[in-house]
Amino acid sequence: MSRGLQALTGREIARVLKLWTQTIGAPVISSFLFILVFGLSLGGRIKQIEGFDYDVFIVPGLITMAMVQAAYANNSASVFQAKFDRYLNDVLAAPMKPWEVNLALSLGGVVRALLIGIALLGASLLVVDVPIREPLVLLVAVTLALALFSALGVVVGIYAESWDHTAFVNNIVILPLTFLGGVFYSVDVLPSPWEELSHVNPIFFLVQAVRYGFLGTSDVSVWLALGVTAVLAAVCIAWSTWLFATGRKIKP
Amino acid sequence: MAVPALELRGLTKRYDDGYLALDGFDLSVPDGAFFGLLGPNGAGKTTLISAVTNLIRVTGGEALIFGRPHDSMDARKLIGLAEQDINLDRFLDVEETLLYHGGYYGMSRADARRRAHEMMDVFDLLGKAKVRAPKLSGGMRRRLLLARALMHQPRMVILDEPTAGVDFELRLELWEYIRRLHAEEGVTILLTTHYLEEAEELCEEIALIRGGRLLARDSADGLRAAYDATTLADVYVKAMADAAGAAA
Repeated sequence: MSRGLQALTGREIARVLKLWTQTIGAPVISSFLFILVFGLSLGGRIKQIEGFDYDVFIVPGLITMAMVQAAYANNSASVFQAKFDRYLNDVLAAPMKPWEVNLALSLGGVVRALLIGIALLGASLLVVDVPIREPLVLLVAVTLALALFSALGVVVGIYAESWDHTAFVNNIVILPLTFLGGVFYSVDVLPSPWEELSHVNPIFFLVQAVRYGFLGTSDVSVWLALGVTAVLAAVCIAWSTWLFATGRKIKP
Repeated sequence: MAVPALELRGLTKRYDDGYLALDGFDLSVPDGAFFGLLGPNGAGKTTLISAVTNLIRVTGGEALIFGRPHDSMDARKLIGLAEQDINLDRFLDVEETLLYHGGYYGMSRADARRRAHEMMDVFDLLGKAKVRAPKLSGGMRRRLLLARALMHQPRMVILDEPTAGVDFELRLELWEYIRRLHAEEGVTILLTTHYLEEAEELCEEIALIRGGRLLARDSADGLRAAYDATTLADVYVKAMADAAGAAA
């Protein structure tokens, strides 16, 4: 690992830690409130889903939602701010290879998302008994999810010309797709055509892959879920790599 | 013959909107020179600097830094850049700004720490080591920009209008820092400025540019003689008028 890559990664992580109340505290609290409100208060009135109590069933999806939103939001904000304030120039002029800059900027979101995921899982275990039945699948699913949304955040941060643009993708695309991706329900219970339509939502597959890692069960084949997530991650990584390699949208 | 610090051969930059900012620009800046670039807004000064420091995509031609292609890792290490805008990382304090910059340029943590302390001492920033950039005064931010540009001990420092918009006292203070850097460390300096007196006071050689083209280059005395002028201001007016006439 080159010193430039280490330094820029360190800078991205330092930013996350310096703003920890916003970057880690807030998403952990809001997601934990979902578990308390939806799981514990409503869960008693909902029958088991796929053999699990409702409060257990929703935890994997909520952790996924919090992590991918954090990875995206962190990188889109950090890259846009660096561009807006022009301190990105200090990095672009430095003897660092384009892929190193891309990777370092991506890793900030990965670290933030992992800290949120670990904190949220720890907090969840205090109130619900969530198993981890397929740890290897969970590891692969989380890796692919973070690769996908970290790269997407970098891409949007590069294209964004205002804060509204970064927020737009999160509020109008990621958040609705996450809610409709089976975080709070099994899509098997949806009537046609909603069940079929759920299968064109990419985040549905991501939630399924992570849920399989935790609970050992999912609405679709875990291989299909991992495959779709891997393809999307590859597309976003290729996109961000191309932007840094060519300088397009980064350098006039 | 010594390798020039900077050599531009037919450097061309056309922006995506079609604007031609540099038009086959040729320039050679000797190692150890204090070289000034003078020209009106839109002349191509900042574009030239951005091209040399890899902040824009060059359309054509080449730029060599001490004989190396400007986009090579070796060449990048040899350049220090202080941009016209205050582009400091808002999340970092003074010391972190220097340490991370050192890291970007491949310095070890220990070397970066030692050099950062030295830079903070030279630029009177030691008392503000733990203060974040947005909390610094305008003068301190300017000094930090210079300290950051020098942090990795470049052989050539590019200063893009370092005194634009600063008061007279700070301008004198910055001149003193820049002079000392050139005299004591033999660093090549490429300075762009709008201030004629600044170019005359500091630079051994001055290039006049307009419309992305080089109009003339010489010492201040040489330019005065060439344009039959008594002041650099007269030289500037005549050179720009000639260029405007030629363009028309």
